[in-house]
Amino acid sequence: MATAKDFVERINRIAGVAGCLLVRNDGQVISQTVDDNEVDSALLQISSGLARDIMTNVGFSHCHYISFNRVNNQTFYIFPIEKYLLGITQQADCSVADMLDQVSRLVGKVSTNGAKTVA
Amino acid sequence: MLHLIDELKVIPGVMGACIINSQAGLKVTNLPAVFRPERLTLVGKHLLKLYSVGRMNFDDLTDITLNYDESVVVARELEKNTLIFAICDPTFNQNLLTMSFNLLHEEFKLGNFTETVAETAAPAEAESAISLPPIEREISGSLQNLLAEMKALLGEILGPMAGFVFDEVKDDWVEQGAPDFSRIEELIEQLNQEIDDQDKIGKYRQLISSAIESFQKG
Repeated sequence: MATAKDFVERINRIAGVAGCLLVRNDGQVISQTVDDNEVDSALLQISSGLARDIMTNVGFSHCHYISFNRVNNQTFYIFPIEKYLLGITQQADCSVADMLDQVSRLVGKVSTNGAKTVA
Repeated sequence: MLHLIDELKVIPGVMGACIINSQAGLKVTNLPAVFRPERLTLVGKHLLKLYSVGRMNFDDLTDITLNYDESVVVARELEKNTLIFAICDPTFNQNLLTMSFNLLHEEFKLGNFTETVAETAAPAEAESAISLPPIEREISGSLQNLLAEMKALLGEILGPMAGFVFDEVKDDWVEQGAPDFSRIEELIEQLNQEIDDQDKIGKYRQLISSAIESFQKG
């Protein structure tokens, strides 16, 4: 992928995205536009592991994303991208379908090819 | 209870749902037989963990959705340690399912499920629940302090999931016999299985050793 910072900035410019963070699957934060205290990187790490376990148990294939729906409508999404995890906080008042479509399209174009991400 | 989750199947794209409790296991399901009960129980337990870790970050968490290639899993906590989840086609109507979950959740809070829960519980589970004398489940005050200390120290090994893991293992341990100090090694062994890493198991043993010694000295 381009630098992780470029990627995070592009995701952050999508209408409906309030903030995002990119972490490695070992929990190390690569880049972020959300406050440090807003979301724990361990949430991404643990959630993706559990989603993978469910996938194995039921026989599903790929997990596109996990969403945590909230009363304040600021849903939080986790997109597994190979060895990385992208967390996105949604703006409360936005077109969710459009936002997810654009994020998915961008995520689909990204490939880390196992390379070390440059922050 | 079954008729209530049967209503969810009327929603286009919803394959079925089930209700799971961390202690009692699978309460009820109307999913196709291809989703075997033991697998659904495992999925439910993973979802309970996911809900627990989500709640640590978001106080106002309502539902969790997992979007896979073939299906979408939507989960809602009905009360602590009890969760309903539905498995749906990717084209399902999420708004309608959320609304149905809201109604069902209200019914649950009103206690309208209580009788039917007992009726639908698996016979083996119902028997074991009856055969456990409640007095044997009581934990002495001093042992509770030790367990609280062990739980806190597990946080240094497992991080944010430690509290949930400890409570789950402790509940199983209490179910298996009298919760007294003579069985503490059984509890530690069960925790070690959850830690599943020799270095971390060793470190945890070191961390708890002084607490255990203090307890023994009284």
